Amino acid sequence: MSQNKNLPVIATDLTAGFGGTRVLDSVSMDAAEHSITMILGASGCGKTTLLKNLIRLLDPWSGSIRIFGQEITGMDEPEFNGILRGIGVLFQNGALLNSISIAENVAIPLEQHTELPRELISRLARVKLGLVGLENASSRFPSELSGGMRKRAALARAIALDPPLLFCDEPSSGLDPVTASGLDHLLLEMRDKLGMTLVIVSHTVSSIQRIADRIVFMDAGKVLFRGTIREARSAGIEKMEEFFKNG
Amino acid sequence: MRPEASVSRRQNRLVFRGQIVIATVPFLLSETEVIEPVRGGALTLDLAGVDHVDTAGVAFLDALRSRIEKNGLECRIENAGERNARTLEVFSSRKFDSQAPVRPPGRENIFEKLGGRAMRIFGNLHQFFLLLADTFYYAIIGLFNRRGMRKGDFINQSILIGMNSLPIVGLISFLIGFILALQSAAQLRQFGAAIFVADLIAIAMTREMGPLITAIVLAGRSGSAITAEIATMMVTEETDALRSMALNPVRYVVVPKVYAITMTMPMLTILSMLIGIFGAMVIGLVYLDIGMEPFYREVVNALILKDILTGFIKSVVFAWLIVMIGAYYGFQVRTGAEEVGRATTASVVASIFWVILADSLLGLAFYLGQPVFV
Ligand SMILES: Nc1ncnc2c1ncn2[C@@H]1O[C@H](COP(=O)(O)OP(=O)(O)O)[C@@H](O)[C@H]1O
Ligand SMILES: [Mg+2]
Repeated sequence: MSQNKNLPVIATDLTAGFGGTRVLDSVSMDAAEHSITMILGASGCGKTTLLKNLIRLLDPWSGSIRIFGQEITGMDEPEFNGILRGIGVLFQNGALLNSISIAENVAIPLEQHTELPRELISRLARVKLGLVGLENASSRFPSELSGGMRKRAALARAIALDPPLLFCDEPSSGLDPVTASGLDHLLLEMRDKLGMTLVIVSHTVSSIQRIADRIVFMDAGKVLFRGTIREARSAGIEKMEEFFKNG
Repeated sequence: MRPEASVSRRQNRLVFRGQIVIATVPFLLSETEVIEPVRGGALTLDLAGVDHVDTAGVAFLDALRSRIEKNGLECRIENAGERNARTLEVFSSRKFDSQAPVRPPGRENIFEKLGGRAMRIFGNLHQFFLLLADTFYYAIIGLFNRRGMRKGDFINQSILIGMNSLPIVGLISFLIGFILALQSAAQLRQFGAAIFVADLIAIAMTREMGPLITAIVLAGRSGSAITAEIATMMVTEETDALRSMALNPVRYVVVPKVYAITMTMPMLTILSMLIGIFGAMVIGLVYLDIGMEPFYREVVNALILKDILTGFIKSVVFAWLIVMIGAYYGFQVRTGAEEVGRATTASVVASIFWVILADSLLGLAFYLGQPVFV
């Protein structure tokens, strides 16, 4: 399936689930370098589960996952931690640590993975919070923020280390249209200016049309379509057309 | 006005009248339990006289049709009228016919239940020991390398566990020492052995009550807090986020608590011992006319190092039980805020139980270790 074994993300025939319930059924997808790949599909179809398998928060039942060209299933922990160094993750609900301020949240990956002095870390944390429009909220705690602000703070944490690979789970859900379009611009800039590879789970048709280079359309744990949006229009897949019409 | 319904049989037709709604379905069910044999291979449900069908009615009619069809007959609905026909279509449950029925919970037989429970206990023990191994591993690593632990957490946790529990531990210890002394004084006085209250309380507080009181208070205060914190982190995906940043949740969250409780618990225990003995001293003073000075001398004479050591060892064991059980129950939570509360309660009950069990076992071990008791 994949022409290039060194794409940042290649998943092949992933099958996964919880207990005895299969949630992903032979899912294959990939993401090209410096591009935005969007994973779409109705809620409950397994997008988050796919994402968590890709970063090994869940172990697939079978199949292969290559990140930066290396097979990660069965890789030992120290080696995989090295891979995580190059990955940022924005979780569906932000998943900020609630016991510390958002600036400290953003500082965690910097402290964990770099030898930078404190002063610089705190400066960097502020810069990242500024990128998402939260420069004035850095000392606040997650519980003091609205859902949309929390999500943006979580994005700031995800990009703290300028990871070459960024996973986002529904970044614009819960945001107002203006903030959401600002976020889309930010994601585009990260692709263009920082050369990141982005894999984004999304529901929002407008943002898919704005920023997706390629899409992966899922339904009930299966991938029904992979390709560009233009190809999607002429693919004649009923469920996908319905998704775009109603999204 | 109560809804009414009836059903009657006319050759190959079941004729319904009135309302097929949630209130009448039980009656209709019993009426249609037995279906007389049919000639001609088809049975029609006639809804001409029905003025209203609700979703329960639709489900009833669907189930009836499936049952009839299973007997090899054709079954159709006729004369439903426009509105009822639409209801039947929109709320149809026929597509679920091919699926296995949803199994009502709590209907396992006794063997399934016991078997499931046994499996769960073994699975849980396995996980508990994995967590324990992880914690010890990172606790030892953490002594040399602070990276990967929550900053400042050791101090915070020590204060949280130690300072906040101090007043309540102190108060309970005082009262227990006081009451124990009062009860035993009444007895011992009859034999003119009142001074031995001091010995009794000194030994009881150091070996048993001090560690136990502290452990039970901390299980309720800190154990539950640990479970609630970790459980909430599981629900809000904070633990996932930690792992995605190459941080180990056990190392980040649990290890600082292990350090903190290992430090503070023995200190609290010693305080509890002292305050309990002080409570007894008050009784000696006001009730038995034993002065502070002789009481103190009696206590010092009664205690040997082993008593204090026993209490100390117990307190450390209890401390670890409380953190580990608290953490274990926290990590068990997968989804849902309501699980957090349940896990917290379960964790407190479990840690108090295990503390008392461990207390008995340790007590036994110490006695067997040295059979002569002075
Ligand atoms: N922790 C879990 N335990 C059991 N089932 C789960 C769990 N998480 C998700 N699922 C199930 O997996 C399916 C896919 O969920 P998810 O990947 O979150 O969907 P999506 O992100 O596409 O909305 C759903 O049917 C959901 O019920
Ligand atoms: Mg999701």
